[in-house]
Amino acid sequence: MTIAALSSLLPLPVAIPLAGAVTAPLLARVSSHLAVIVSLLGLAGSTVILLLEAPTVFGGRIIAQYLGNWRPSNGHVLGVTFAADPLGLLVSLSAAVIGAILLLYTLSELGGLGKRELGGYACLFQMLIAAVIGASLTGDLFNLFVWFEVAALSSYGLAGFFLERPIALEAAFKVLVLTTLASFSVFVGAGLEYARHGALSFAQLHDALAGHVGTTDAVALGLLVAGFATKAGLAPFHGWLADVHTAAPGPVNALFSALMDALGVVAIARVVFQVFGTSSLPVLGLLMGLGLASALLGGIMALAQDDLKRLLAYDTISQIGIVMIGFATGNASGVAGAVYHLVNHAAFKALLFLAAGAVVHRTGLTRLSELGGLARRMPVATAAFVLGSLSIAGIPPLNGYVSLSLIHSGLQQDHETIPYLLTLLAQVITAAALGRAAWLGFFRRRAGEYEWRERMKPGMLTALISLGAGCLAFGAFGPVILRRLMAPAAASLLHPARYASAVLAGSGRLPALTVPFDYGSPAELASVGISVVIAAALAWAYLRIREPLPVRLLRAAHTGSANDYAGYAIAGTLMVIAVLRFA
Amino acid sequence: MIIVNYLAAVALLVIGLYAVLTRRNMIKMVMGLSLMEASTYLFMISLAYRAGSTAPVLLDPPPGKSVQSLVHGNVADPVLQNFCLTAVVIGVAVTAVFLSVVVRIAQHYRTLDTDQVRELRG
Repeated sequence: MTIAALSSLLPLPVAIPLAGAVTAPLLARVSSHLAVIVSLLGLAGSTVILLLEAPTVFGGRIIAQYLGNWRPSNGHVLGVTFAADPLGLLVSLSAAVIGAILLLYTLSELGGLGKRELGGYACLFQMLIAAVIGASLTGDLFNLFVWFEVAALSSYGLAGFFLERPIALEAAFKVLVLTTLASFSVFVGAGLEYARHGALSFAQLHDALAGHVGTTDAVALGLLVAGFATKAGLAPFHGWLADVHTAAPGPVNALFSALMDALGVVAIARVVFQVFGTSSLPVLGLLMGLGLASALLGGIMALAQDDLKRLLAYDTISQIGIVMIGFATGNASGVAGAVYHLVNHAAFKALLFLAAGAVVHRTGLTRLSELGGLARRMPVATAAFVLGSLSIAGIPPLNGYVSLSLIHSGLQQDHETIPYLLTLLAQVITAAALGRAAWLGFFRRRAGEYEWRERMKPGMLTALISLGAGCLAFGAFGPVILRRLMAPAAASLLHPARYASAVLAGSGRLPALTVPFDYGSPAELASVGISVVIAAALAWAYLRIREPLPVRLLRAAHTGSANDYAGYAIAGTLMVIAVLRFA
Repeated sequence: MIIVNYLAAVALLVIGLYAVLTRRNMIKMVMGLSLMEASTYLFMISLAYRAGSTAPVLLDPPPGKSVQSLVHGNVADPVLQNFCLTAVVIGVAVTAVFLSVVVRIAQHYRTLDTDQVRELRG
């Protein structure tokens, strides 16, 4: 296909789910299953179009589409631009594919819902997928804000979807408060950048921001990072995340954790690298701080949880923190590892949440203290949970091993010893938390029989197996995937000037980036082995001691009050701005 | 003077923030967020203004000015005003969702106190 044809197809992957979102409630009047099946087909259509773009884009060519045919004149972008670069295409592909798998799972697990409910669900679900794809393909700051809001509105609906559960309402209120604050932050940040430079296109802003920048830019960047960090669930903006995941059903958890967080991460990556990439602001140090704080806080909180879904939600905070640490290295290995880990996180976290959802579906229980002995009775869910946990722990040949070792080598290249050790510590704690959950929920003996509810259905099994296969494939074919997909994605972040000129010219090439990766590196394998042993010891010890004081204090800080969480977020925003301005 | 607009925007922002951080009544928190929202609109509209500029409507120029002088000259920035229009539309939708959630919380918990509605914590 010619570049022009590919470029004209670019809005379709977003337009299809948006159109599907509108028609789903109408189709549901005919048949509730029809609405979900048509949504599934729509996402498959988006996937096909994105796959058509893939060979060209991952070959290192950026394709831009000027919506409404408003072409740039004299280097000024006049309208909204969609630009498919390898990073955006990678994230939108994973959103479309994982979204389709989640809809398949939904059809099995929630297929019994009424017509209105399932129609509304399919509508909100597709809106969220459209927002993630739109946010990863857009090349315009204000358009990014609009996708952020689309995702926010549908997340409010999905968070409070099961209105008969009071905790779902409580969680919906918290996510509303925090996301609304974040949206003000993004809105004002984008407005300030426009007022200062007269541009909204990433490409034009990048050219305007190269070199020295003023206080306005520091404040704008701080507001943008803080706003998107709320969506990504980074500490201290994370108050909503665990609550929303506790109350929602399995596929919604997976959607939020795997895909909606990715929207925040991609937005941060674009703003930091492609807009402010050559500016003089200390933004990578800031990302390192946010990443380490999130990784450690998420890990420790996960270790202390009793609710299985809440545990996985805190683990999401920790994993997104590790992605940020990768970005913060700013070198090829670290950034490629971060992008890789983002995609891996989407796969293994969706797998874990669906496994947890299957447990709830079958037993009606979520508390680890009430569960146990599921390994014999639910072998597929157990296998899925263990596979996901091993991926997070970075055991070869699973996908987490490849991305984590890339992030480690990125940290070592820059001789960032203390961040490296803290990253390892966070991983050990996370692995211990998941090991503890696997033991308590699946492997220990449990007295008494469960009151079994509905059985696992074929759609649920298919979803679990395909996500598990994805985790294995992204690990086993690590070097190929790194070379073909992740290295181009990192190149588009690390060569912002090329991205900018390509967007202004309509298309352009990225330089090839080689990221060294040694699958059998003895040092890395040794570090994995030692981490696993320490994690197992930590999990064993944690089951036997009273809750230590630091953990108790940290849990006490999560008061559950919307006022307090808003306070943390505001304090975080001020801190981010202060670091950028004065550090 | 445009400086008054900025001061008013900051004042609104601070009042709204005060309500969000200290009021435990959910309706008051929503009101606080609405105030903060209004302050961002005021701020944007003020950023769009240039000294002596007219509204960015070029169809019917005000007395004493021709269309040509407006095209080349002094109008407020329409992009930032469009920002606000977009955000107002989104803001209405968000407030509607917000209030419907608050109503359902009031029905379920029989209270609007955020301190009473925190089963999820730790």
